[in-house]
Amino acid sequence: MDGIHDLGGRQGFGKVDTGEKEVAFHSDWEARAYGIVRAMSKAPGWSLDKFRFTREQIDPADYLTRPYYDQWLQCYAALMVGSGIASVAEIASGHSQSGLAGPGPARGPDSVFETQKSAAPFERPQITPPAFNAGSSVQTKSFAHGGHTRLPSYIRGHKGEVRHVRGTFVFPDDSARGIEHAEPLYTVAFNADDLWPGEGASHLVLLDLWESYLDPA
Amino acid sequence: MSDHEHKNTGDVHRELHSHLPPEPALRVRAMESLLIEKGMLDPETVDAWVEAYCEKIGPKCGARIVAKAWSDADFKARLLENGAEAVKGLDDAGWAVAHLRVIENTPAIHNLVVCTLCSCYPHAILGPPPNWYKMAAYRSRAVRDPRGVLKEFGVELGGDIGLRVWDSTSELRYLVLPGRPEGTGGWDEERLASIVTRNSMIGTQRDLSIDAGQA
Repeated sequence: MDGIHDLGGRQGFGKVDTGEKEVAFHSDWEARAYGIVRAMSKAPGWSLDKFRFTREQIDPADYLTRPYYDQWLQCYAALMVGSGIASVAEIASGHSQSGLAGPGPARGPDSVFETQKSAAPFERPQITPPAFNAGSSVQTKSFAHGGHTRLPSYIRGHKGEVRHVRGTFVFPDDSARGIEHAEPLYTVAFNADDLWPGEGASHLVLLDLWESYLDPA
Repeated sequence: MSDHEHKNTGDVHRELHSHLPPEPALRVRAMESLLIEKGMLDPETVDAWVEAYCEKIGPKCGARIVAKAWSDADFKARLLENGAEAVKGLDDAGWAVAHLRVIENTPAIHNLVVCTLCSCYPHAILGPPPNWYKMAAYRSRAVRDPRGVLKEFGVELGGDIGLRVWDSTSELRYLVLPGRPEGTGGWDEERLASIVTRNSMIGTQRDLSIDAGQA
């Protein structure tokens, strides 16, 4: 979807706050929210892409202003409502008022190391040989659909060169809809001067793009 | 997904926002207590995750990978070929990132990592990302005006140095391998790791200072 999250190349956000103190968490509630998200049981179908799509649908004003981990928790709240696990009233009160059941059981403290170690891989066996090779000229599609996609708007309709053929990976546009489908993934390089002509840019921008985002050029 | 479903998720967000307590700390407390009541959360597991990310997992994990690459040419070659495979078997980095890719800074090339669409970041080897990495200013400008962004971090990149900006749009996670500074010959891996900063592994720092190196 063409949402507020698609920030690459947008203007008007000012300088980067480079003076931030280098700590893991900036407050107790941030640490707690992070720990809750990592520790909580997830329902089947709450893929990373579905989570991302849920975050993309946060009200634009909230997306830009609400703290990041606060948004994470709200996404899981919205997923719980969407999956029939909790009502808005339960989330607001913090207490279970209905028979709506969650996906249990809760994971114990020993799960931390195992969960990290077994981070879900997204690579899949090759289904069809990749259509492009390193060095191929490609052009990104200019589509915009209302669902989740990892083809940012700033790169659509532009020509680039394949630098790496990465293997076959779960396709996010489908994964966000609960459908698993895998495609060849490429790292494609674009000249910034083509993306934003006349600004004197001399750098390359490299993105990881799935085969169905690309046409031969 | 249909427009109908889109509207529903956006509406659920707006409804949650208007019904939840205004303070993030209170919202977090309400979610924690509800998840416990629903049987979806053990608070001791939350403690364990927080402890892991405050004490064990952080930029020092990435720094050890960098120090090993500087010290061991064979490891470095494998790391650049396939980062995820190369770090398997290293103590706490071995299980870190399923699809890690490492990109090398050289005298002629500088690399910078961003995620314009969300905030993808190699948490398990660098810890949680800094706030600026998640904010609109960095995410919007890193791809379009990276030299301007680098200047704000105090990096004046010479015009003869090629700049590559990596937008993390897939599940590949990028780690920059910074250049090894002069004057570090004979240092062991532990001492080398002590001078590697978080920002140098994201690419918002280029030159490392050897002053911090613990003998």
